[in-house]
Amino acid sequence: MDTYSKSPFVKMSVLFFGGLPLMLWILGGFPERSFLKESLSVVTMLSFFFMIGMFFWSRANPLVVKDLKMRRTITIHKAIGYTCVAILLLHPLFLVLPRFFEAGVSPDDAFVTIVTTFHTGTVLGMLAWILLLILGITALMRNRLPMTYRTWRRWHGILAVVFIAAAAWHAIDLGRHSSLAMSGLIILLTTVGVRLFLKHTL
Amino acid sequence: MTIQSINGCIGCGTCVKTCPTDVIRQDPRTGKAVIMYPADCQICHLCRMYCPVDAITISPEKSIPVVVSWG
Repeated sequence: MDTYSKSPFVKMSVLFFGGLPLMLWILGGFPERSFLKESLSVVTMLSFFFMIGMFFWSRANPLVVKDLKMRRTITIHKAIGYTCVAILLLHPLFLVLPRFFEAGVSPDDAFVTIVTTFHTGTVLGMLAWILLLILGITALMRNRLPMTYRTWRRWHGILAVVFIAAAAWHAIDLGRHSSLAMSGLIILLTTVGVRLFLKHTL
Repeated sequence: MTIQSINGCIGCGTCVKTCPTDVIRQDPRTGKAVIMYPADCQICHLCRMYCPVDAITISPEKSIPVVVSWG
């Protein structure tokens, strides 16, 4: 644990993938909502940024491998990955959860309306959700899949690139806190992350 | 202004149907809800209450308490 906290790369990445989005959220001047709604929004937003960070906390990034060594890089990749995948898979429910405590539309009606609205943002969100589910399951069941580790790793990366492209578009289109600065940060980090993977793989 | 902003609209059109004074319209280009006639807002909160993603914010300075029936 001490190695992680002392690592300059870990400190920098926490600042980039946690601190910067939080700063933009605070400075964004978004309308105030209840503590529950804002907490769920912030958790989802940080999980998404940490998912972009997965491209940087991998063997594709020579800086992190040099700083932490491959064993620790994989540990951090798995720990953050499984946590963020779980949060992002649940985030459609986070949208309707506050409806249990408010008057108006019921949570189940709200959820049905969300999943039956076929606009670009929602369709991309559903596509990203399915890709994330496949990413999570294939990562959990890697040893049972009929392929070598290297083949799996390549497919895992390709799936991650497709996922992050759909998810970034979804977040920019429908994100409550997707201001110009936040969208710019998403595009910048996603582009650099994908480029890092492609440079390592091709 | 009473209805303040719409952030994170998915374009389901529920707010357009629920607004009794036709304040909100759906942008034909993006398909998302836009505040068209803010001066007509009666602060009834129906759009906010029925928005499935809670995208609508009503200005707290001019808000009046929502009347909710018991039972």
